[in-house]
Parts: sequence; structure tokens; C-alpha cells
Amino acid sequence: MDKETVATISYLSRLKFDKQNEEKITTDLKNIINFVDQLESVDTSDIDPLTSPLEKIAKTRTDEVTASNRKKEFLDNAPDANEDYFLVPRVVE
Amino acid sequence: MSIQYKSISDLSKMLKAKDISNEELIQETFKLIDGNKHLNTFVTLNKENSLKKAKNLDDNPSDLSLSGIPIAQKDLFVTKDLRTTCGSNMLSNFIPPYSATVIENLENAGCISVGKTNMDEFAMGSSNETSFYGNVYNPWGDDLVPGGSSGGSAAAVAAGIVPAATGTDTGGSIRQPASLCGITGIKPTYGRISRWGMIAFASSLDQAGPMARTAEDCAIMMNEMCSHDFKDTTSLDEPIPDFTQDLDAPIKGLKMGIIKEFDLSKLDNEVVKVFEESIKHYESLGVEFEEISLPNINLSVPTYYVIAPAECSSNLSRFDGVKYGKRCDKPEDLEDLYIRSRSEGFGDEVKRRILIGSYVLSAGFYDAYYKKAQQVRRLIKNDFDKAFSKVDLIISPTTRGTAFKAGSVNDPIQMYLEDLFTVPANLAGLPGISIPNGFVNEKPLGLQLIGNSLQEKRLLNVAHNFQISSDWHLRTPSSEIK
Repeated sequence: MDKETVATISYLSRLKFDKQNEEKITTDLKNIINFVDQLESVDTSDIDPLTSPLEKIAKTRTDEVTASNRKKEFLDNAPDANEDYFLVPRVVE
Repeated sequence: MSIQYKSISDLSKMLKAKDISNEELIQETFKLIDGNKHLNTFVTLNKENSLKKAKNLDDNPSDLSLSGIPIAQKDLFVTKDLRTTCGSNMLSNFIPPYSATVIENLENAGCISVGKTNMDEFAMGSSNETSFYGNVYNPWGDDLVPGGSSGGSAAAVAAGIVPAATGTDTGGSIRQPASLCGITGIKPTYGRISRWGMIAFASSLDQAGPMARTAEDCAIMMNEMCSHDFKDTTSLDEPIPDFTQDLDAPIKGLKMGIIKEFDLSKLDNEVVKVFEESIKHYESLGVEFEEISLPNINLSVPTYYVIAPAECSSNLSRFDGVKYGKRCDKPEDLEDLYIRSRSEGFGDEVKRRILIGSYVLSAGFYDAYYKKAQQVRRLIKNDFDKAFSKVDLIISPTTRGTAFKAGSVNDPIQMYLEDLFTVPANLAGLPGISIPNGFVNEKPLGLQLIGNSLQEKRLLNVAHNFQISSDWHLRTPSSEIK
């Protein structure tokens, strides 16, 4: 874990840090990764990963319409919207 | 008539006997909230609606189990038309268009949601110091943290403002603050309570539960909070018992396991003494003890700090400044909008965890960290399965010590180790409860009981047996500290 790695994962996470915080976050991440590195020593050959404690197949339901159109309510929470769409800065010149 | 520190059943009786009207009860609750402002337990109050609902109940009384009972809701549950911040600047203006299933269930049972409680930002923290809305303070002493992440809920119950509150527990966020605030809190089996409308942190670990002063009140809350919900695909379709029934059934002959690998010699002597006293107490109730081995349990915290951040980085990618929540001022382009909205909207701890998550999930590291942690997670679960073939319950302290001073723990890893004893139950999806079991330097401590899958009723029964034969849960900050 170095500054370059931190810059890469920050960009992947769409986060930005100023110079001062960059130092601290690099140190913190280095320590945390060192801490979790103790997992390395565990023998996990032939062990299936456990992704959820339930280990059940996700339930399905009949494909029926269960909700009404609540477009206005959802758009009301948007920082910027017109009657039909969420608005963002122009992406196509 | 004072309503402070009254239980759900006390308040229900008072309402039925008309010793107090529904409106008066809610007015008194808001007086208590006002009088305890320094604790900073609430982010948003629901005063007008609560009073309206109470007046309505005075005109049209109901027999519902929680009719008129003031409940504080953790600000992680979305509440229709009532601001929901999750402790974050990112959601400082978010008014949800729907309510969480837990909120609906409780309100359908007649409760009055008086406000939204403060919490660590997106439930990431163990001291309630990461909230955008400021620290919550523990009513048991000046400048003490209440624990986290459900710190506001714990402090509101401990201060006697409300008889019960909702919490959520991803790595200990119900049990650890319950321990530090001297109250009772239960994290049910993963899937027992619907996660619909809970703002997701780590989806394979998150579970809601009640926090109250007694196991009995937790049981009353559990009866309403649990449901099979088709809106949550991980919601369990299992029979839900009446948790309040047979709470006082004797526990003679019950077998409890003491975890060999939890090294208590590293804890303060007084803390260990409190734990040992509780074992003696249970022995006097006829419980038998056996040492059990969970060989991989000490890997729980590092395992958790791979899995939880991985799931968090994925879940929190939805906060992009487009659909709801905070958007930065005058974005130059779409990328600038994403980056600045997220960088301004999230606090340091949340950013730290997103970065760890992105790292352990990134190409080249996925197998070494994420997959590895999931494999160790299975080993930990297998250890529990084996242990439960020998014992009925597992007993341990809930926390390593009592509440600490705000600002005194600055190393993230030291803070993460606050959850040393609570994280294993989340990894294995098992139910766990924390009950008050003593004091060290006038600060409360909690005892943790972990049960096998779906054994919440057993946990509440065993906790209730402790409480009808002790009075730790009845101590209040105002009666201890003058």
C-alpha cells in the first residue's frame, strides 16, 4: 500500500483527498491491510467461501406489477430533475 | 407523573388505567428529550405528527400491543416523509418516499415514532464519534461515548427518555452500545427481521433488533419487528414464536459454553470479576458450564474488516449525487459531480472503509483478501456449528471494558477491536444478546449470550431469568451519579 495505490483506489471509489489527508489515509490503510494480512496464514484449501450465513437460494416471485408509478415522488428527492429525468452536467458535446 | 425509565408494559398499564393520556405521555417524552439535549441522542424529531397520533389514540383507543408507546428509531431506517440521514452529510436533505418494513411493523402495532436517533455515519463506528451530527454522549458520565453505531438509541433508552428503540447490528452495533450504556439489546438471527428500508452497510451481516432496559421489553418489540417479508429476499420464512411467552421458564440444566480462545487475562481485573460473578449467578440458577473451543474465532475481526468494507464499498456506490442526497456545488462535468459529491458527502471513517473495500475487491487482490476472508468466515461458522452440538448457549463479556472518553481512541484498529467479542455472531449469522451485568468505576458493563440459529426466544428467556434475580438492569444514571 503506497501513495500510488491509494490514488488508484481513490479514483476507483470516486473519492478525492487533499495532500494533507493523503498521508494519513495511506498510513491508516497500510496498518489496516497489515492487520487483515494475518488471514494469510490460515489454511483454507478446499474450503468453500461463505458469502451469506443463510446459504439459501434467493427466492423468486411471479413477475407481477406490485408498485404504482411514483415518478414524481422519486424525482422530488433529486438534486436536479425535470418532469421526466434526473439531470446531470452535459456528457455529449 | 414521571414517565422516565418506565417500561413498555408500565406505560401500557398507565395508558389503559387512564393514569396518563396518550397526548400527555408524548408531551412528557418530548420534555425528556428537551431536558437531555446535551446527550445529542436525536438527529430529527417527529413532534407534530407524534402529538397528532397521540391525540387520535385518546379519541379512538386501540388494543394494539404498542398502542401509544413512544419509540425512538435509529436514523438508518427510512421513514416516509421524515428526514433520514444515516448520520451522514450525504443524506442531510433526504426525505424518504417510503418506510422500512421494521418501521411499518412497529407503527402498525400502534407505536409512536418520536424521532430519529443519532448514529455513527452509515453505522460505521463503535463510539458514535463519526456522526456528521456530532457525538452522542453516554448518560453514565461526562464526556463518555455511548458506543456505536446505535449510540443515540442506546443513550435515549439509558437516559429513560423512551422505553425502547430500534437499532441495527453489523458487527456489534446493538450489543456494544447496550453494554456501554447499561441496557439490553438483541441482535436476532440474520434474516429474522426484514432489511427492507434499512440503509445498507454490509448486506450479509446487517440485522435490525430492539434495544430496551429489559429482556421482557425486547421480547415485546421482537414480536412486532419480526416478519417474513417478500421485499427482502434474505428474509427468513420460518415460524415466529411469541417471544413474550414463557419468558420466566426455568433454565435449570441448561448448558453454557465458555470460549477457550477468548483471552480474558488481557482485560481489566475488575471487568473479568464482573463476568465471573455472572457465571456464578447463572450457576445458582442451575446452569452448567463447559469450556468450548472455537479455534478460528480470534480471526473474526480481521475477517470482518475485509468482508464489511467490501460490501460497504459496493453498497455505498449508489450515493452519486444524481438521484437523491447531496450534490456538490457547480460541478464541472459528470465525473467532477461524482467525485466532489462523494468526497464532500462522506466523512473520514466511511471513506476509509470504502477504500479498503475497493482495494480488497480489486483485480489481483480479490482472491487473496475477499475470497480468503469468506473462506475463514466458513471456518468460523463451522466452529460454532460444532460448539452448538455440545452446548445450548455461549457466554462471554460483550465488550473488553466500560465506556471510554470521547476522543481517547484515535487508532482505527484499536476502535475496530471494540467489537472483538461481538463480530463472530454476525459472521456466523447467529443471534446474540447483551444484558447489564455489573459496574466498574460506576460505569455499566454487559454480558453477551450467543445462541444457535433462530434461538432468540431461548436467549430472551435466559436473559429474563438473570434479570428477575438481579437488579443491574434497573440501575439508572440519575440514581447512581448525582
